Amino acid sequence: MELMVLLVVVRLGDNAYGVPISKELLILAEREVSLGSIYAALGRLESKGFVSSSLGEPTPERGGRAKQYFRVTNSGVQALKLTRVTLTRLWNDVPLLQ
Amino acid sequence: MTDKRSNPPSFALWLLRHTASDDWNEALTGDLIETFRDRQSRWWFWGQVLFASTLGALETIRRRWYFFCYAITGAVTPYIFEYSNVLVRVWPFSSHWSDLPWPLSQFVLEMGLPAIAASMSLLVLSVGLLIEGSFRWAYLLRTFIITLILISAVHFSIDLFPWLLRPIPGDQHRKSLIVPGIFVVLLLGSTYLLAAWLGCPSIEHPHKRERQIAEPQ
Repeated sequence: MELMVLLVVVRLGDNAYGVPISKELLILAEREVSLGSIYAALGRLESKGFVSSSLGEPTPERGGRAKQYFRVTNSGVQALKLTRVTLTRLWNDVPLLQ
Repeated sequence: MTDKRSNPPSFALWLLRHTASDDWNEALTGDLIETFRDRQSRWWFWGQVLFASTLGALETIRRRWYFFCYAITGAVTPYIFEYSNVLVRVWPFSSHWSDLPWPLSQFVLEMGLPAIAASMSLLVLSVGLLIEGSFRWAYLLRTFIITLILISAVHFSIDLFPWLLRPIPGDQHRKSLIVPGIFVVLLLGSTYLLAAWLGCPSIEHPHKRERQIAEPQ
């Protein structure tokens, strides 16, 4: 879950907040994930230093609530690269899945 | 222009505000309202709120684990004392309370055990606060006082409902509750939990502080 959310944050760039993240997960992973789960995953990623967040302006269509934008950090990018290498290595060692 | 269809259920919003994690409460609420107004039903909104509230409760338990340790210790200690008879050895007044002058005798009879249990539980809370780096003497003192006030309130308010009490065989001074012991433990634990919550104030999230600075009243 955290890996998927982190990848979606990278894909969305400057527009990474809850709503587009959930839409991207629905389209790409074909999974409807609750917004609470997404924020819980983002909270864990932020505590690990893989993403940073900033508040946007409150808007009327959101009932006066601000958006919380997320951005991947350098250590987040490094973690993604490392995970990709590890996963590729693991996939390669499973002959049935070749 | 707004109508009932475009406004999410107000009780769900209230529940979300009070139960979801402080870290992402405002952003999550905004996202839910935005999605609800875009395409979703009230059932969807309620489902999302209940799920977020559950996650928020689990997050609270994880963060404030020492409050729960305090509550468990406070709820269980009186029973340990009662059944193991440790109190008689630790505090001799417990069995000779009637020799003491009034109102000290009344205090020892009614509040001696809760006061000792609260003091022992406070040790658990102190260790938790030390581990989390939030130790303050003021927190401990405030929590102790609030605990005693709440326990006294619960203890003496039970006298308003005499049909809830039954005599203990062989003890003419004390009575026990007719409700199962587990309810008493839960009530006692909740009282300790509330006292810790009121006694040790929460640390605000940095985003909230930034917002308050940026948007003066």
